[in-house]
Amino acid sequence: MNQAEVSQLISKLRIRISPRHKNLKCPEGPQGRLNKLRKTVNALFKYERLELNYTIADETRGYAERLISEAIRHGDTHKPTMEMADYWIEEKQLIHKLFKVLVPRFSDYKTSYTMLYRAPKAYPDIVYPRSVLELRGNPFPSILPQRIDQRNFIHNILLEEAKKAYRAEKYEQITKSLNEQDVVDK
Amino acid sequence: MKGLLTFKRIKNHLTFNFNAFCNVLFGQMPPPALSFANPVETLKPSSQHLIDVQQLFKNSILWAVPKHRRTIEKRLGRKFGYITEFYKMLMPRTDLFTCNHCGHYYQRRHLCPNCYKRVKDETTEFQEVIEKELGLDPIEQEVVVLYKGEKTKKPEEFWKGKRIVELKREKPVWFCRNLLQRTTIGNSDCKDVKPSELA
Repeated sequence: MNQAEVSQLISKLRIRISPRHKNLKCPEGPQGRLNKLRKTVNALFKYERLELNYTIADETRGYAERLISEAIRHGDTHKPTMEMADYWIEEKQLIHKLFKVLVPRFSDYKTSYTMLYRAPKAYPDIVYPRSVLELRGNPFPSILPQRIDQRNFIHNILLEEAKKAYRAEKYEQITKSLNEQDVVDK
Repeated sequence: MKGLLTFKRIKNHLTFNFNAFCNVLFGQMPPPALSFANPVETLKPSSQHLIDVQQLFKNSILWAVPKHRRTIEKRLGRKFGYITEFYKMLMPRTDLFTCNHCGHYYQRRHLCPNCYKRVKDETTEFQEVIEKELGLDPIEQEVVVLYKGEKTKKPEEFWKGKRIVELKREKPVWFCRNLLQRTTIGNSDCKDVKPSELA
């Protein structure tokens, strides 16, 4: 078999890509669609957190992930990767960011490089679903609040210890009563 | 039939021409005026013969009308809508929850609007500051945004290899300060209530 392995050709992304593209409203046709996506991909690398309509955010996510993973795989000496970065990133100072900041940041990641959240809708307005797209490891305050039910909180530790002590006490009582029963039987 | 129609058309044409001719000769014709009518003529007794249904059907044109009664399912569907497609009645929403962090309502699988607004305001400010600071220079280091007085909390080596952007204000406390104030005053010897403290 002379067939090349697909995994060698394209890097496997850690996000789910739908088999069909999402329709974007684009009077300029396919080229206009690419221009639109190029703008958002560029903005994502620049601002690291964006609020967009859900469809365009989802489409942008795939392109951004692909670009980062290619950059991690091949590095900045690979000509096709560099051409790809040159095409997708309009502000050229961000190409430096991709290879010098994002590649070291994401090279050890086991998860996806971006996150997509659904933004709240203003009830009762009927609006297009909005979403928040961000690069992981950004310098901004985290979108999801810290979880309250942390195990290492002091009251949780104290409650656990109290539970253990209560259980030990109960077991002692049970063993005592069993011993007494044995004495009575004999 | 065809001949009759053409005759009518010619007649109309002639009368129209005659009127125009008169207008040219004598100026505008006088407007139509009221005239007396003979009341005896209008009270003529109508013909007394009965209406023949067969004849009626033969002579008249029938327009389309519903042939069958609509089924109850269809009528109910039109009235209330369909649950699977489009339901017209009001239904209780079951996808609203309260945020564990701030207590506001949020839609299931969406961000909490209150928490998100707080983060968003902060983020836009960060982004503006970073953009202003970096400008058009090639970005070669990670950017860290620090509030006032945060830099001294950690040693110098910690910030090595990072580009620091400092904000001019202190870190916002996302915690209600009122919670620290005591609501009751205990162990006071004085028993009379001062009205000024109530308000």
